[in-house]
Amino acid sequence: MEKTLKKENFNSLITGLKDQGYRTIAPKKDNNLVTLDEVQSADEIHLDHVQTNNSIKEYFLPKTEKILSYTLEKNKVSIEEPEGFAVKSVVFGSRPCDAASLPIMDKVFNWDCSDKFWVERREAITIVTIACDKCDNYCFCTSVGLAPDSKEGSDVLLTKISDDEYLVETVTEKGEGLIKGLETVFSDPVAGTPDRQVASVEKKFEIDKIKPWLDENFAHKIWAEFSMKCISCGACTFVCPTCHCFDIVDECTMSKGDRVKNWDGCQFKMFTLHTSGHNPRSTQDQRWRQRIMHKFKYYVEKFDNILCVGCGRCSRVCPADMNISEMLEIIATEENQKE
Amino acid sequence: MENIYKPYLMNISDIIDEAPGVRTFRLNFLNEDEGKNFQFQAGQFALYSVFGYGESTFCIASSPTRKDYIECTFRQTGRVTNALSELNVGDTIGFRGPYGNVFPIEEWEGKNLVFVAGGIALPPLRSVIWNCLDLRDKYKNITIVYGAKTVEDLVYKHELKEWNARDDVNLVTTVDPGGETPDWAGKVGFVPTVVEETAPDSNDTIAILCGPPIMIKFTLPVLEKLGFKQEKVYTTLESRMKCGLGKCGRCNIGCTYICKDGPVFTAEEISKMPDEF
Amino acid sequence: MIEALRKKAEELLRSNTVDVIYGYGEGSTPERTRPVFITKPEDVNKLIWNKYCVYNLTTYLKRQESRKLGKPAIVVKGCDAKTIVVLIKESQIKREDVYILGVTCNGVGEPLATKCKACDVNTPRIYDDLIGEKIENKEIPFDERYAELDEYEKLSEKEKWDFWQKQFAKCIKCYACSSICPLCFCDRCIVDKNQPQWIDPSAHPRGNLSWNVTRAYHLAGRCINCEECQRVCPADIPLNLLNKKLAKETEKNFNYRSGYNIDDELAMATYKEDDNQDFIK
Repeated sequence: MEKTLKKENFNSLITGLKDQGYRTIAPKKDNNLVTLDEVQSADEIHLDHVQTNNSIKEYFLPKTEKILSYTLEKNKVSIEEPEGFAVKSVVFGSRPCDAASLPIMDKVFNWDCSDKFWVERREAITIVTIACDKCDNYCFCTSVGLAPDSKEGSDVLLTKISDDEYLVETVTEKGEGLIKGLETVFSDPVAGTPDRQVASVEKKFEIDKIKPWLDENFAHKIWAEFSMKCISCGACTFVCPTCHCFDIVDECTMSKGDRVKNWDGCQFKMFTLHTSGHNPRSTQDQRWRQRIMHKFKYYVEKFDNILCVGCGRCSRVCPADMNISEMLEIIATEENQKE
Repeated sequence: MENIYKPYLMNISDIIDEAPGVRTFRLNFLNEDEGKNFQFQAGQFALYSVFGYGESTFCIASSPTRKDYIECTFRQTGRVTNALSELNVGDTIGFRGPYGNVFPIEEWEGKNLVFVAGGIALPPLRSVIWNCLDLRDKYKNITIVYGAKTVEDLVYKHELKEWNARDDVNLVTTVDPGGETPDWAGKVGFVPTVVEETAPDSNDTIAILCGPPIMIKFTLPVLEKLGFKQEKVYTTLESRMKCGLGKCGRCNIGCTYICKDGPVFTAEEISKMPDEF
Repeated sequence: MIEALRKKAEELLRSNTVDVIYGYGEGSTPERTRPVFITKPEDVNKLIWNKYCVYNLTTYLKRQESRKLGKPAIVVKGCDAKTIVVLIKESQIKREDVYILGVTCNGVGEPLATKCKACDVNTPRIYDDLIGEKIENKEIPFDERYAELDEYEKLSEKEKWDFWQKQFAKCIKCYACSSICPLCFCDRCIVDKNQPQWIDPSAHPRGNLSWNVTRAYHLAGRCINCEECQRVCPADIPLNLLNKKLAKETEKNFNYRSGYNIDDELAMATYKEDDNQDFIK
């Protein structure tokens, strides 16, 4: 289904969603950052940005979440399960790369057994994406098989067709349902081909060159050379929409507590530290290799997807200017040279 | 939808002190129906939790042939195992599992078995040892080589006596030089050397190995020298784990997830993994 | 200046005075630079110096990976040089273990970094070689040096609390602040210790407050205000405001400025029999 949406109708859209019981999450400006956050009205929505600081991930895999609660009475334990964590919501105005991360992550959270915290949120949240009309030097979606107007993972895709109007395309039944429920907000498209304003994202490397090189080069000097400047923080993994590694810890008082799932990251040296003191990935070159291998080899072998959507966040925030697409460009070049 | 992170509640029905800092719990399901439906196989592991302290991963140390309970043996090292060791009979702990793959004991039927374990690594093998002993007719000769640092550090001391007394088990125990006591009747020496001296016949034999990385490293070449093919040597790997379900992303060695693809591997499989243990 | 820097670096490597140069190189965009580790004399052309050289490279003194490269010469600005003073005073390094390539600096960042606004170390106060024309360091009065706190100090206690609650809510516990800090060199940070669990690992209000406050307090009287924690914070939390406030209180109470004079006794790690506070006796 195709419709159009005037910018001036954003407010009716948000109000309409609210009336139907949706929470709306949209890009919002806070000091120097644009973050995906809850909004009450369209006035709060900020659209003049390349990329939000946080990724869509935190609405499906929050930075910290309760997976169970318990009360302790002498030696009696009773367990309670969290409820109400899957809030009916619309994410409005996220980028196509962020949306594309969701079906990729569905695989790890559903294979073998399903993680209900992920699955129930996925069911409760509808994704209305806005295609990128600008990009920066860190963007590389086109190098990982996506595009600034990809539909993967979106329920509805909006594409700018003039300064004050968007083309609305429904991608899923869920998206169609959402639009149908708010018919008065949308208009029928006028005849003819609309002028889609979509950014042109430079292709930086051939993705087909990456995995063959990784298959052969577990031991290569580049891992150490490239990661020398890395400071082993978790910024790259935490802003990444596809990094999903987590920790499980208990937090409690004397009589009650929670078991919580927290973001964790492969760049921390504690991540793989055994209680015995042994650490299979004790140095930064091993940890950097793990990040690249997990994204471009291991995940591909296990789930037939690259674990990267080219959003560029990791490189934007890196304290030491580690740049993932630069690493991949080097690999693609090395692979070329071999032939 | 089911919460995959929700543990069973287990009652501690017995506690045995095995060695300094090493303890065995016998556990029973608080909910009897859960207990009746629970099934596992030798080689699998679980996440044991003390509420308020967290979860810790270790193997199920009892045999699946003993249906009424589960046993686990742990050494006090971290936050959770320290909290576990504070608990008493009658206390409740959490238990998630069973997870991981299993020892293919049906494939081993009709063959000789050699178990080699070092220190606190006997518990993972104890499950499969008892499993095979409870089905004794199905296997030919059974040899167990077990070593620890000192006599005191040997775990399952009563069971070692029991195995020693049996005609159908060849038990060889050893302690590291300096770890012996005046009345020590076993061998003195490191496990790899003792395996070499014991020289089990590799013909039609499966070797099952578990111990600290250094022991594995030096025992594998010995087994090779004795004629064991890599695909006939099994071991079980350890890793830091949080979910046990192939989601939390930390226990991999290359593409292999210890929690799902393991923890049981053949030496042949391990030889193909990248060097990141 | 770049030429002088490269020439000196080449000389140090050729003469085996040092094994590696920690310096600034070109970054992934013109507005960024990045740390480079030069071990071969023929690579010294990778060294650059410009207004985007904001990093404090002394953080690599604590990292096992860079330490393995051998004895370093480090390119430091006046502010960064203060870190080396603290590291020496706190017995983390010996003076002879590091060759200090001091650069004179008129401020970095675009717009100008806050730390540069009241700079009185345009020329480093400690160095082995000075690159660039020597700049006479100004004397800047106390109040002016802490001017960035003016607005904050006007807030009521409640307003301050609300301000930090809002700021810390953004924290994602990536620990970039402590990973980048050259003075956060504990082998095992308190957040990584769980017996007992002093700090809740979760990124919820309680966990975030205890982490951020503990981090700041462990740097009280030690932080040299290089602002690296604030620069790297992906959640844009004004962490240096906390550090600066603690530095101000330290100076006010102990007349001590961290890393400023190598002969000064450390404010937080000096025992005095005539200490005027009872608890220490």
